[in-house]
Amino acid sequence: MTHPLTKLIASWFVIAGLAGAAAAQPAAPESPPPADAASARAQCTAAMNADPKFAAEIVKVADEAAAMKRDADTLAAHNDAYAHVQKNERHVIYGYAAMWIIAAAFVIFLWRRQQVLQAEIAQLHRDLEAAAADRPAEGRP
Amino acid sequence: MKKPTIPVFAVLAAAGIATSIYAIFFHAPLQYGLNEDGKLNGSSLFFNQKIFYFHTAHAMLLILAVASAGVSSILFLLSRTAPDAAAPGPESRGAMAFIRAHGSMWDDIASASVDVAVAFGAIALLSGSIWAKAAWDVWWNGEPRLTITLLLWLVLVGYVVVRRFAGPSADRITAGMAIFGGVSSYFVYTMVGKDSHPASGTNGVVATLGPGMKGAFWLTVASFACWYIALVVSRVQSTRAERELRELRERGLDLGVLQ
Repeated sequence: MTHPLTKLIASWFVIAGLAGAAAAQPAAPESPPPADAASARAQCTAAMNADPKFAAEIVKVADEAAAMKRDADTLAAHNDAYAHVQKNERHVIYGYAAMWIIAAAFVIFLWRRQQVLQAEIAQLHRDLEAAAADRPAEGRP
Repeated sequence: MKKPTIPVFAVLAAAGIATSIYAIFFHAPLQYGLNEDGKLNGSSLFFNQKIFYFHTAHAMLLILAVASAGVSSILFLLSRTAPDAAAPGPESRGAMAFIRAHGSMWDDIASASVDVAVAFGAIALLSGSIWAKAAWDVWWNGEPRLTITLLLWLVLVGYVVVRRFAGPSADRITAGMAIFGGVSSYFVYTMVGKDSHPASGTNGVVATLGPGMKGAFWLTVASFACWYIALVVSRVQSTRAERELRELRERGLDLGVLQ
């Protein structure tokens, strides 16, 4: 048989252990669990219907928040577009420079060929004049 | 061609290009579109879209020039066929007679068109690559349309090289190359919209341009078309003069007038 005192001491240790474990757990929330969105909306609607002043204040706060969001989005979009435009300016300059350089090179190429052609015509003229100058000499006795 | 052709088209081209540059940079708008989340969407046309006007005009004229060279080369090869190979009808004989009588003219037009197409193709490829870097953040994405356009351009460069170094038979060899290029240009055109490039046709990018953009674009195309005509006519005259000079020199050598 176990001594009653031993039982008492054992019981005391069990209770102390359970109490320590309970203390180690996080404290349970004091407020009741939040209602779902639909019931919260219903509660809010009821409150706004009951108090027009409260309703006007809620609408004003919501409008201000939406306006701030719109302004922030617009600013972000403008900043984004500005960054794109700044980045692309360089490429537009490169693109147009490349186009004009190729066009100029092609025109120079045409001009050079024209110069060569004129030089050949001049050479032919000289050859013909030389040939014409030689002919009478060949006919002389 | 009459003598005033080149100055008239050159002046028209210069005035048109100057006006189109003003229209592109000071009149044609940019377009920014926002998604529902407030971010800029992919169809926004930023400042780099200004490259579109010159790039597309040169690409269109590249296709026109290559097609023109292909048709001229077919006529050149037809002009070299034997007279009895012509179709039997009197009208066909008349058409064939016309084609034969202007045999060298077709070759000159083909050669001049290819020369101009090489320049226009280089402009279209280079400006497109720079635009791709600005818009897609890549210089070259190797998609089929770009690749076949590059191959077409290399064929044109090959045409010029063969023309320069292949000797007396160069005109017939290069006529075959020009016909091949002319056929390829059809595929270049029909591949628009099959990859990253926007679609063509009635619902394509050109047809659906905004009012400010459409006028600037077609003015640019018309201006470069004038420029193209001036260049081709100039090259035809130059090539014809070169050939006549060569023939005169050969005749002079044959007759013993020249040494």
